[in-house]
Amino acid sequence: MWRAVGVYRLIALVYAAVVIVRDHHRYAHPGGGLVALTVMAAWSAPATAAYARAPARRPWVAGADVAVAAALILATRLVDTAARIDHGAGTLPLCWAAAPVLACAVAGGPWAGFAGAAVLSAADLLERQALPRNTFNGIVLLLIAGTVGGHVVRLVLRAEAALDRAARREAATAERQRIARDIHDSVLQVLALVSARGRELGGEAAELGRLAGEQETALRTLIALPPAPAPDGRLDLRTLLEPLAGDRVTVSCPAQEVLLPEAAARALAAATGEALDNVRRHAGPDARAWVLLDDEGEAVAVSVRDDGVGFAAGRLTEAAEAGRLGVAQSIVGRVAELGGEAAVLSAPGRGTEVELRIPRNEVGHHGR
Amino acid sequence: MDADAHSEKTGPGTVDGGAGSGGTRPGTVDAGAGSGGTRPATMDAGTDSAGTRPETVDAGGPPRLLVVDDHPIWRDGIADRLAAAGLPVVGTAGDGAQALRVARATRPQVVLLDLHLPDLGGAEVTRRLLAADPSVRVLVLSASGERQDVLDAVTAGATGYLTKSASLEDVVAAVRAAAAGEAVFTPGLAGLVLGEYRRLVTAPEKETPRLTNRETEVLRLVAKGLTYREIAERLVLSHRTVQNHVQNTLTKLQLHNKAQLVRYALEQGLG
Repeated sequence: MWRAVGVYRLIALVYAAVVIVRDHHRYAHPGGGLVALTVMAAWSAPATAAYARAPARRPWVAGADVAVAAALILATRLVDTAARIDHGAGTLPLCWAAAPVLACAVAGGPWAGFAGAAVLSAADLLERQALPRNTFNGIVLLLIAGTVGGHVVRLVLRAEAALDRAARREAATAERQRIARDIHDSVLQVLALVSARGRELGGEAAELGRLAGEQETALRTLIALPPAPAPDGRLDLRTLLEPLAGDRVTVSCPAQEVLLPEAAARALAAATGEALDNVRRHAGPDARAWVLLDDEGEAVAVSVRDDGVGFAAGRLTEAAEAGRLGVAQSIVGRVAELGGEAAVLSAPGRGTEVELRIPRNEVGHHGR
Repeated sequence: MDADAHSEKTGPGTVDGGAGSGGTRPGTVDAGAGSGGTRPATMDAGTDSAGTRPETVDAGGPPRLLVVDDHPIWRDGIADRLAAAGLPVVGTAGDGAQALRVARATRPQVVLLDLHLPDLGGAEVTRRLLAADPSVRVLVLSASGERQDVLDAVTAGATGYLTKSASLEDVVAAVRAAAAGEAVFTPGLAGLVLGEYRRLVTAPEKETPRLTNRETEVLRLVAKGLTYREIAERLVLSHRTVQNHVQNTLTKLQLHNKAQLVRYALEQGLG
């Protein structure tokens, strides 16, 4: 961006030099034209360098830039003849004066660009003391260049930043996945081994094994990427159910993604989580649970089964009447809201089974 | 279905010098074809060499094991634990190529295979192991989170799948079942196989295998953690029938996979 402004400044400087050298013998003070040219050349180099290298000082440099250009414009009346000026001859800096406006726009956005253009336009008017057509056109162009230029620069910078952020995020995700794979293949396996071996040995080793097991779980959670929806807003239900697995909970899923609208996936996962909470609370301390995710195509079914104490069929209604079945009701409610159904099967001593099934109504989202 | 009967041959295992000496077991272990027990139940008593390991309680000829895993700590750890539990590990390997070499030298009956190997994919190793010796049983023992790899290995002919977090008890039972020619169906594997059949229903390929309603029912129950006995009870079937249903679901997938490979080879002019 700054390079573009620098290139513009250089070209404009060359153009101004050609015109001044060509016309200087017609000026009231020929030497004055050359002095102005020297000032322009002398200012251009350090200004360009300062813009490029010192981002913090850009507003000051831009201000000085505008001041130098305004001074040169005003100096035109001292150097050139009144007749030529009235006849519409250009100001001394000519189109070089647009360089500071562009610089303002790049440094400070549309309003800074507009302000720079306004200052130089005022200088121009002051110098002319009239508003001939081409000066008017020049002023309008300068104001537009400053404002629009600043706006476009803002957009470009914003797009660049967004692209940069996206690239960074992608790189970070890829790196994280790589680390997760490595940890999975090394540390986690050793921790799992230590935990299993410790439990086998018993005594103090069992305590160490238990600690290793806890660390394994913690590390596994740490390296797991948070479930993120696909661009179409659907979410792989597996990524929500898998973290529910644990020491006493087995989660079985297909190898293929099970995509559902994000809200539906989250509600189904939440219902599954509540069913597992129920197992922990009511099925007995030794109960184990199995979660099965079955993608039937037309519908998605999740079942939560435990081998706990279970309950008699009548007890469910009894409990509901006594208002003690809040959790089960909330599971049924969640699934019903998605147009699905929930069934609870149980018998004393034979565990409990909760089947959640929600239909896939969107056309084209079947299969897989 | 025959377990191989060449057990007199012993090879220099990379870990186990001891248990390899002198025939590890006299007879074949093939209980799967005959009797209907869940356990392989090889009670043919008395191999004298079994006494090399102090912890060996089960005197019935234990199956010869090969452990393939690229992680040395894990590999040696599981080998020690299995040996302590009375299953002699006749060899270990750290990559696929080595696994094939060691398998040729030690003639294991069961290969415990990690799917994460530096050189070959798990499915490829499975295929080559079986090509070299169709009687070998490949049991996938892998970290979770590699579902597609597990499924690929199983359709390539692996006989079962356990996660590395499985207890030693489970691993030992699985090895014995595998040696007996039974499919080792954990709930996780049942979920994968069920999912694969669900996928095949909508797959563009022709002549994909399908599950019967009964098979679907049985597979779902396995995935929900019911034992064969519980399933038999619930569906009023014999234990043996449940076992056959489960075995069928796997066999159909493996045959389909094989047919696809042959078709592909013919199309490529390799046949």
